Formats: sequence, structure tokens, C-alpha cells
Amino acid sequence: MGGLILRRLGATVPVLLLVTAGVFALLHLTPGDPIDAMLAESQDPVAKAALRAELGLDRAIPVQYAAWMARVLRGDLGRSIRNGEPVVENVGRRLRPSLQLAVLAMAISLLVAFPVGLVSAYRRNTAVDRAGTTFALFGICMPNFLLALLLIFLFGVILRWLPISGYVDPLEEPWDGFRSLLLPGVTLGLALGAVVTRTLRSSLVDALGEDYVRTARAKGVAEWRIMRRHVLKNALLPVVTVLGLQLGTLIGGAVITEYVFALPGVGRLVVDAVFARDYPLVQGVVLLIALGFIVCNLLVDMLYGWIDPRIRYR
Amino acid sequence: MLSRRRFLAASAAAGAHAITLTPRRAGAQPTPRRGGTLRVGFYIEAATMDPHLSGSKIDRQVYHNIYEPLVTLDAKLGVRPGLAESWQQPDLRTLVFKLRRGVKFHDGTEFNAEAVKFNFLRMKNEPKSVRKGEVASIDTVDVVDASTVRLNLKRPDAALLATLTDRAGMMVSPKVVQERGSELERNAKGAGTGPFEFVEWVKDAQLVLKRNEAYWDKRGGPYLDRVRYRPIPDDTVKLQSLQSGEIDAMDYVQPRDVAAVKADRNVVVVDVPSLAAFSYQLNQTRAPFSSKPLRQAVAAAIDVEQIVKGVWLGVGVPANGPVPPTSWAYDKSIAPIRRDLARARAKLAEAGQPGGFTFTLTTNNIPINIQEAEVIQAQLAEAGITAKIKLVDSATLISDGNNKNFDMISYQWSGRPDPDGNIYQFFKTSPGTSLNWSGISNAQLDALLDKSREAPSQAERKRLFSEITKILQEELPMIYIVHPIEPKAFSPRVVGYEPIPDGMMRFKDVWLR
Amino acid sequence: MGVLVLLLALLVAVAAPAVAPHDPLKQDLAHTLARPSRAHPLGTDNVGRDVLSRVVWGARVSLIAGFVSVAIALVTGGVLGLVAGYARGRVDGVVMRLMDAVLSFPPLVLALALGAVLGAGLGGVLIALGVVYTPTFARLMRAQVLSITARDYVDAARALGAPGWRIAARHVVPNATAPMVVQASLSVAFAILAEASLSFLGLGIQPPAASWGSMINAGRGYLQQAPWIVFGPGAALLVTVLGLNFVGDAVRDALDPRA
Repeated sequence: MGGLILRRLGATVPVLLLVTAGVFALLHLTPGDPIDAMLAESQDPVAKAALRAELGLDRAIPVQYAAWMARVLRGDLGRSIRNGEPVVENVGRRLRPSLQLAVLAMAISLLVAFPVGLVSAYRRNTAVDRAGTTFALFGICMPNFLLALLLIFLFGVILRWLPISGYVDPLEEPWDGFRSLLLPGVTLGLALGAVVTRTLRSSLVDALGEDYVRTARAKGVAEWRIMRRHVLKNALLPVVTVLGLQLGTLIGGAVITEYVFALPGVGRLVVDAVFARDYPLVQGVVLLIALGFIVCNLLVDMLYGWIDPRIRYR
Repeated sequence: MLSRRRFLAASAAAGAHAITLTPRRAGAQPTPRRGGTLRVGFYIEAATMDPHLSGSKIDRQVYHNIYEPLVTLDAKLGVRPGLAESWQQPDLRTLVFKLRRGVKFHDGTEFNAEAVKFNFLRMKNEPKSVRKGEVASIDTVDVVDASTVRLNLKRPDAALLATLTDRAGMMVSPKVVQERGSELERNAKGAGTGPFEFVEWVKDAQLVLKRNEAYWDKRGGPYLDRVRYRPIPDDTVKLQSLQSGEIDAMDYVQPRDVAAVKADRNVVVVDVPSLAAFSYQLNQTRAPFSSKPLRQAVAAAIDVEQIVKGVWLGVGVPANGPVPPTSWAYDKSIAPIRRDLARARAKLAEAGQPGGFTFTLTTNNIPINIQEAEVIQAQLAEAGITAKIKLVDSATLISDGNNKNFDMISYQWSGRPDPDGNIYQFFKTSPGTSLNWSGISNAQLDALLDKSREAPSQAERKRLFSEITKILQEELPMIYIVHPIEPKAFSPRVVGYEPIPDGMMRFKDVWLR
Repeated sequence: MGVLVLLLALLVAVAAPAVAPHDPLKQDLAHTLARPSRAHPLGTDNVGRDVLSRVVWGARVSLIAGFVSVAIALVTGGVLGLVAGYARGRVDGVVMRLMDAVLSFPPLVLALALGAVLGAGLGGVLIALGVVYTPTFARLMRAQVLSITARDYVDAARALGAPGWRIAARHVVPNATAPMVVQASLSVAFAILAEASLSFLGLGIQPPAASWGSMINAGRGYLQQAPWIVFGPGAALLVTVLGLNFVGDAVRDALDPRA
């Protein structure tokens, strides 16, 4: 297992090189300039030139990339152009709400997906199933900014049950923190729940059709026991895959949800950085997100082995 | 719907100069109460706490509570004493400030003439300073005595005093700069003299100030214990946060929301006429707008009146040029350019394009800009002119402008207290000044611009600015659309906000009911 | 059901000039944000244009965004996957690492950056979304190639001396089509949603043209005053994406009776 992890991590090196080179090229091809953007109304040519030289932006692009890479290898991701803060600190601070949101969204998605998925699979092709499937589709098809705005309108403005925007750290103030994350969590969780419901339903249907289930039934094993011992365990694999793959998306890709609810997460950080042409920040965040994505994939693969020992690695 | 139309009528009647306070606030005001935290929502987070390095508008909102400039603005844009008690101009090239005594920075150090000199030298010499242009006319700074400072100017600069009401006049503790250097960008503890002291800035979450107990001005506030700024990027969400009581004040209400918010009992709206001029620059350095008749054709085809009514919903006034109605230099005898399709067609013919022409209109991809561009596009189409809209983000917009990579480009200037700040740097021939995106170079205009800086009296300057405005309407390096009103919104608990047309929210005398 | 919805959407898109009750670009600043009425069944927007007509015309842009970007991804991904799966070895490694790299970008950020580089407008959006969806198809195709080339009839063909390209054309591509089509029908739905998300971030269609996404973006500030500007395009978006999903499910069920 250890050798496998090492090998897999080794294989990520070229991927990360491609990602960082890609970001670098994309950013520098994008029209706009970090200094121009930062000094929007004070276009003083001398100050701009000084800043550009200080930040090394006056050098050739490959040279800038090499210099950046050299620093990254020494563990230094550089500083944000816009506010001079180290990229690692910036991301570290943003990671906490992102992770909390991701965990909450996953919990909500499972809370929704399990009952709906189970009932749908058991009562296949009945009205209950169709209702469940349609609900899942709605969750998938609803643009999340629309859902977010509707939730705000309903729970924040009309009912006033929950705060509309802002972030309170649940690790410091558990109750207020939970409340501040609930609406965005539901926004993300419903969409994710829809995906999970679908996956769960179809893998349950598959598992219920397997021979060993029929055998067990024929032997008169109690239904709930079949479910627990045989069906659920096998149906879990695809669900874990989906959740694992979505974790990366939830952390780096919840841009719109974070934006609408004014949550300081990683997704908004990178989008704002793109708009400010804050090159080091974008590069650093994308590198970290890519790394996170790769690690998630690896973890999912390892979970496979744990859930289904038949899967062995070459 | 009805309420909005009623609002349009009301704001049209109110006129440009009126500072409309809602009736609920106009009653007799009870004695101010000390204490409480004011929660303020902003659309974006501040960029830096160092006023000499700051290029973003939002920073100033915070600065005006932490730092103080040498002189300040009143509601009519007159210059009033600030950290300087009085000032004299013995001649056009000398400006002498008498400083207030007994003022201390939040770190306990003395504010005096040496500190003023230190600050001006820093603005001029610090490589990253973006104040260089604003203090360029200052040659040397002499400390006459502990509370007297003399600025020796390279050339007469009538606009300098007004410029010193903002970041260029703000005094930072020399000790903080020397000891903490660039850390000041993130932490302004001890750095200012203002009514509030910097406490902490938790990035992306909040920026907190507390009352300066030792504030020099013992009249009035500061009353508030704390001020807490929070970034809320989405306009709708920010407004809803105010309506539901999560914040007490916000910096700007979108025109589309003004009518609804004014009808809401939980919100008090204060219309603050601004110094801003929103316009489009026309690139004279390349076709098609190197042709003056084509510029004139476009200007004649645009219906500014309709845009201000239909897009800005009356939350602003049609612009006749760069000088806003809030300024002493505003000349109301000059009308905004009227729509005249016959003239537009005649100008097209004069330019040899009787069938019209096609150009690209570059604008920011934010909703109200898009809406305005769409309306202009439709108006121009009626004259046979085809505008292709190119939407860009603001970083691209600025670079396109600096590189003169545009035909017609949206330019939303937030404005400066002296009209010079809305004019000189945009129209003066000078390869170094990059805000002259249109590329205009006109000898007559250049001469007038220089004269406007040297003219000894305000009346004379006003006359010169009127003359400049008329030339601009003829030459059209820019087509002016609107001087927007910047409505601020408050919870009814907030009392004592004094609107000043620079749009800054100064909380010294604000208190909570 | 899904097919019906999809056909309806396509029909509306194609026949937009005939179906739309008004000129989608005709402004009327005196009647902005008008409530739904007989003249304007879905009301008017912030410059007084008929929302229904814009929804009808927006169908074109949204469907083009969905279908063309997925077509780009399908073709590019398909070819890349075929090459990788067939050539194996180093080529496989390079192509798949490239795909991994694209996959490990946050998709919205990738689309945002690409869109900014390519310039705003439909073209930029199509290519950006196409790139984002390419790895999905490349991986799927490669997996298909690997599993199909391991089958007996391919071995037989190879033993008979059939050239590689012919095996690919005769056996691999036809067999791989079904899963690719299923994936495509679902991806179209996501691409339409993604275009809407890009519009939300200010990147996308150039006005005065509109997609459903850009209409929702323009209208979201008016949710309290005039919800109908968002409702029309929102409903159209939801129904179409639902339809596409139904179609995708149906195709999958038809191809794989077990599911």
C-alpha cells in the first residue's frame, strides 16, 4: 500500500507541472494587468513601473515561471500582489470555511439521499420512485445561484429564521456558526444530494438484482438484514466515488454559493484573484486545489479497497 | 411600479443640489447616546491600510475614520480646517499651514510640523507611493516651527488645497511607518489621528475600529464604541442584510433598489450627490473616432436624458461635462448635449459616412453598465450607427484604456473635490499621464488647462472651466452621461450621518438610537 | 416526455422568429419591469423588452452553448481517448496526464480564465466549456477502447491482419458510441447550466443577444421588484435541462437494461 501511494504521488508530478504551466500561460495571455487593476484611479507611471519591477513582472514570462517554480520547490508560494499577504496564509484562512461548508453539504446530501434513494430503489417504477427521481433531477437541474437567491428570500428575508450572509466560525461559536453555514450548506447539499440519490438508486437496483440477494431471499433471510449485509455495502462504492470526486469540486468550485452568501472560501478567493489578475495568488491556489483534487482521488481509491477487498491494486 | 414613478417625479423635482433627507430623520434630534457597534456593509474588502499606497476607492471609506487630512470638505465642497487650523497663500507658489496643537497619533506620538514634512516626503519619494501625481506640484517642505509648515510649489496649483482633503493630505504616524514599514498595509494600529482607532482586520471577515478616547476635538462625537466593516459582494444580499438588521449601514444602493428601499420602514436612505462623472472616452488616435464629425454624430444620437431616466431611474442628473452639480464650478447655463437625429445624420454625411458606420463599445460587465450600453446601442441604431458591445472585466477595461485598444470605452470616474481632478489629467497633452485615454491633444485646451491651475480667484477658475466644458462638448474626447447620486442606506437606529458629496461615510458624529 | 420537451425547445429555438410575439431587442424605456400582461405574457425587462420573446430567442443561444460545446468536447475527447487507448505506452501517458491536469483545475476557474483569454462572447464560452468537458469523454473513450480491444472478435480481426485504423473504425468506435452518447446527453444539460454560471460571473454572451443564463444574471437584482424577469428564463432553463436528463436516462436504460 505504501509503495502504491508513493507511485501514485510520483505520477502526479507531471500533472502538477502541466497545471501550473497551464495557469501561468493562461494568466499571462489574459488581457489586463495586475498593477493597472490595483491602481485603478491612480495611473502614475513611475509608481507603476516601480511596483512592476519590485514584483518581477517586468521579466520575460518563462523567466517568471522558472523563478516561481524555484520558489515553490523551496516551499514558498509567494505573496498576493493585491494585499501583500503570503499565499499560503491566504489559502489557509479560506480553507476552513470551505471545508466546513463541504462537510455540511455532504452531510445534508446524505441525509437527503439515503431515504430517497432507498425508497426509490425498493419501490422501483412506482409513483414513489418517480417522485424521488424527479426530485433528484430538480436538484441537479436547478442553477445554484437561483436556488441560493430563493433560499435567502424565503428564510432570510420573509421568515427571518437564518442570517442572510456572512460567516461565523462554528469552531468558535458553534450555534451561530452552524446557522451561518446552513443556507449555503443546503444550497450545495441539495444539488449534491440529487447526484448521490441517483447514484445510490441505480447501484441499489443493480445490487438488488444480484444472485446472492436472490439466494438470500430464497433462504428467507430478513429483508433488513439482506439490505444491510449485502446490498448497502455493495451499493456504497459508487456513492463514495461520487462524494470523493465532489469534495474537490465543493472546496474549489463553490464559487457562486460563496459569492452569494459572502462566505470567505477558496472558490471566491480564486475567482477574485483572477479578476484582480493577482498572478501569484491564482497560481498558488490552483496548485493547491489541483493537489487536493489528486489527494482526494487517491483517498477514494484506497476507500475502495477497504469497502470491497476484491479490488486489489496492480 | 407606482411607487417608482412617484419616486422619479419626486427626485426630478428635488433638483440637483438638494440633499434629500427622509422626513423621518428631519425631526428634532435627541441627545446623542454613547456606545454600541455600527455594522457597515461594503461591496468589497479594503485593499490596504496605507493611504499613501492606496489606489482603491473603498479604502478611503475606512481611512476617513482612522486618519485625518490637513483640511476637510464641507457639504458644499468648501475647504475647512482639519489637522491644519488655518492656512495662508502669501503667493501662488507658497502654501503655509498652521497646525492644530495637542493632537496625538493613536500610538501616542505628537502630531507636528516634522510629521507633516515626513508624510509629504514619503508620498513623493516612496517608490510604491501612488500619491506622487497628486503632490507633484510640491517642490520642498519647510518646517517653520513645531506647528507651522510651508509648502514651496514648483508651479501655481489652485487645486492642491482641495486635493489635500483626501488621501494626499492624510497624516500617518512617522513612528509607525519607521517601525513597522510595509506591515502598515495590513495593520494600521496607532497610525492615525482620527476619531476611531484601528483594532483589527480579519481578512475577508471584518475590519474593526474603536473609539479614540483621546480625540482632540471635544465637541460632538465620537460616540460609537466600535465600527465594524464587513464585505458583502452581492448587492442584493447586502441590501437584504440591511433590511433584516444584520448590518446598520451600507455604502451604496443600486438605482434599481432605491424606490423599493425608500418605501421600506426598516431602512433610511440618504441621497448623496456625488463628485462623479460617468462617461465614455472616444479614441481619437484611430478610426473611426479620429473623425470629429463622427464623434459629434454619436454624441447627437445619444439621448442622455432618456438614459438617466430609464437606466439610472433618476438617481443622478444628466451631465453637461466633467464638473458635477455639487461643485462651485458647475455652470448650469451649459445644457447637456441634446439628442438631435437630424444633426447626427448631417454629421455622418459630413464625415462621408451618410449610411452610418460600425464601431465597438467597450464596457464593464456589470448589470447597470450592460443596461446602459444596450440603451445606447438602440439609440445609435436609430441614426444608422452600429455599436457592437464588448463586455470586459474591469482589469481588461483599464488595460484596454491605457493601451488605447478601444473605439468607445466606458469611463466611470469617482470624482475629486476640485474640478481640476475631473479635468486636467484627462485632457492635457502629455504622454506620461495615462488617464488621457482618448488621446486628445488640443493646444487651445492645453493653454486653458494650465491657466485654470494658475488663476488666482475661484470666479476666474469657474469661468475657465465653463470655457473648457464648451470646448469638450465640441471636440468630444468624452461623451458625458450622468453625475450619479450615491444613495447610502441606514437602519433607523443610526442617527447623525452628515452627507458630504465625496461619498465618504464619516462616523465621528454618528450614534445609535 | 423528455424527448418531447427537448423537441419543443429545439423547435422554439429554430422557429424563434415565428414564435416570438415581439422583437426581442425592441426597447421601451417607458414600460420597464412591467408585470405579465396579455401583451407581454412574461412581463418586460429592465429596458422594456418583452421577456417571452427574449426567452424564445435565448433558447437558440442556450441550446447552441450546450450542444456545440459538448460536440467540441465529444470530438476532441473522443479522438484523444481513441489515440491514447490505441497507442498505449508513452502517448497514452502524455494524453492522460494532460487530461488529468485539465480535470484537476476547478472547472469554473478554467472556464473563466479561458473565456477571458479568448475574449467574451459565445465563441469563447463554447471553447472554454468544450475544454472543460473534454477529459470526461477522453477517459470514457479510452476505457471503451481498452475493454473492446481485449475482446475476442478484435483479436480475431487482428489475427486476420486487419490494419489498426480499420479495427478502430469497424469495431471500436461503433461499440463505444452508446456510452458516449449517454454521457453527451447528460453533459449538454450541465453545459447549459455552466453557461448560466459563467453569465453569473459576468462572462458570456455579448448583449443585446441573450442566453437564459445571461437573462437570469441581468434580472437577479430585480428579484424583489420584478421576479418575472428571472422566472421566465429560469423556468425555460429548468425544464430544458430536466428534459435533457430524462432523455439521457432513457437512452441509458435502452442501452443497458439492467440500470
